[in-house]
Amino acid sequence: MRVGRPSPWTLLLVLATTGPVLLALTFMLGYAFGGIGLLSQGWTLRHWQAVLADRQTWIALAYSLYVAALSLAGSMLLALTIVFALGARLRRGLLGVLLYVPLTIPPVVAALLTVELFSGAGLLARLAYALGWIAQPSDFPALVFSADGSGIVLAHFGLVTPFLVLLFDRVRRNERVDALMQLSQTLGATRAQALRRVALPVILCAARPALNVYLIVLVGAFEIPLMVGAQLPSMISVLIWNRFAQFDLSTKPQAYVLAALYTALMVSGLLLARRSAMTAGAAR
Amino acid sequence: MIQRMLAGLLSLLLITPMALLLLLSFSRHWIFPDLLPAQWQLRQWSELLHGNSELARATLRSLAMATGVALSSTALALPTSRGVARHRRRGTLLTLAYLPFAVSPVVLGASLLYVFLRLHLAGGTGGVMLGQFVFAYAYAVILLTSLWNPEAESLAGLATTLGASPAQLWWRVLVPRALPLLAVCLFQTFLISWFDYALELLIGSGLVDTLTIRLFQYFSAGDTRLAATCALLLMAPPLLGLVLNQRLLSAGLLFRGLEHDD
Repeated sequence: MRVGRPSPWTLLLVLATTGPVLLALTFMLGYAFGGIGLLSQGWTLRHWQAVLADRQTWIALAYSLYVAALSLAGSMLLALTIVFALGARLRRGLLGVLLYVPLTIPPVVAALLTVELFSGAGLLARLAYALGWIAQPSDFPALVFSADGSGIVLAHFGLVTPFLVLLFDRVRRNERVDALMQLSQTLGATRAQALRRVALPVILCAARPALNVYLIVLVGAFEIPLMVGAQLPSMISVLIWNRFAQFDLSTKPQAYVLAALYTALMVSGLLLARRSAMTAGAAR
Repeated sequence: MIQRMLAGLLSLLLITPMALLLLLSFSRHWIFPDLLPAQWQLRQWSELLHGNSELARATLRSLAMATGVALSSTALALPTSRGVARHRRRGTLLTLAYLPFAVSPVVLGASLLYVFLRLHLAGGTGGVMLGQFVFAYAYAVILLTSLWNPEAESLAGLATTLGASPAQLWWRVLVPRALPLLAVCLFQTFLISWFDYALELLIGSGLVDTLTIRLFQYFSAGDTRLAATCALLLMAPPLLGLVLNQRLLSAGLLFRGLEHDD
C-alpha cells in the first residue's frame, strides 16, 4: 500500500536529513556573502570574487574529481580482474574471510598504513633495500605526500578494491552472469566477446548505483588526503578545512564559498545519479 | 595452479597491513632499513590496560558514543523506513536521505559549527553524537527500507486483522522479522560513529578525545607505535563482527541505490 500523506516518521526523516543540510546551507551562504561572521562588514560578493579568481579553487575541484575518478576506475579494473581470474575460489577458505578485512579499516587507519607501507622509510622501501634496489630512503619513489596524488590513490585502491571485489562477485552470482556468458558462447561468441559484451555490461549496470555513491564519497574524501596528500594541490575538502582552520579569520568566508561550490557540485551529482536511476527504471 | 598462486598472493596482500600494524604496536626500536623491529615492548598495550590512561579513556568514550549513536539511529530508522517504503514519494525521500552524504561531514560540520556553538553543543560529546546521528540515521533508513516488501506488509495486515494492537504489531511481528537486518544496521551505524574523524574534529573542535582523534594526534607527532595501537583498537569491533558473522559487514554491499518514484 503506497500513501501520499506524510507520516510523523517521514517528517522526521526530512527534518533530520534535509534540515541540517538547509541550516548548513543558510549559514554557509551567510558567511560566504559576508552577512555573518566575526569580521563581517555587511553583504558583499568580495569573497566569491576572491575564490572564483583563485586558481587553487579550480585546481582543487579538478584534482578531487581526478583523484576520485582514477581511484574508482583503477579499483574497478583491479576488482573485475580479480573476480574473473579467481571466480568461485574467492569465496573459499582463508581468502573468503580475508577479503572482508579491508572493510574493517577506517580511512584514518588506511592513511597510516599508506605511509607505513609506501613512504621512503616504509615497508616496501625496506624490502627494496634488502633486495639491493635502493641504497637510502630518498632513492625510493615519492609515493606519499606527492603532488600527483599517488598516495591518496593507493590508499583508495586498498579500501575500495576489496569492497568492489565483493560487490562484483555478488552481482555476478545474483545476475547469473556465468550462465549468460555460457549461453552467449553457445551462440557463437568468443570468451572475450562474452566478457566484453555480456558480463561487463550486466555487472556494471547492476553495480551502477553503488558506484555512483562511491564516486561522490571519494570526491569528498577528507582523512586520507589530509594525512597522505601534498600541501598543493589539495583536494577540495582539505582546501575547505585549511581555509576554515587558519588563524587568519579573514579566510573563513572563503572556506564557506568553497563549501557552497562543493555542495552545489555534489548535490547536482546526486540529482544526476537519481535521474540516471529514473531513466534506468523507466527502461526496465 | 595459477589461480592458487593468485589466491595466495592476494591473501598475503590482505594480511600484510594488519601484520604491519601488529609489529608496529609491539615495537620499541624499528628504524630503516630493518625489516623487523630491533627491540620490542609492551608499553603501548599496557598503557591501554591502565584504566585511567588517556588511551583507555578515549577508547571508552568512542565506545559509548558509537553505542549511543547506533541505538538511537536504528531505533528511529526502523519506523521511518516503513513510512518511507509505504510512501508514494519513496524515491524522493530516499534521495533526501543521501543528502548529508553528498554534502560530506567536513562541509556539514564546518557549516553547522556556528549553530552548535550557539546551542553550546560544540566541543562536547553530545554535539558530536548529534552530528554523527544525522549520517547514521540517514544510512539506517536507506538500509532498512529494503525490509518492507509486499510480504512484510501482508503479514502486518494479517496481524492487524486478527486484532493486534500497533504495539503488538511492532513487538511481536515486525521487529522479530527484522532482527537480522536490525543487527546489521546496529553494527554498521556503530561503525559510522566509531570510524568518524571529521565531525569529531569540527564539531568536537578536537576537544572530544576519541580514538580517531588520538590516532591523528599520534600520527602527527610521529609516534607511529601508539598510532598503530589506536589503529588496531579501531579495527577490533569490525574484526569481531567479521568473526561472528560476515553478513554484519557485507549486508550493505548491494546498498540500495537511488530510486525513482512510482
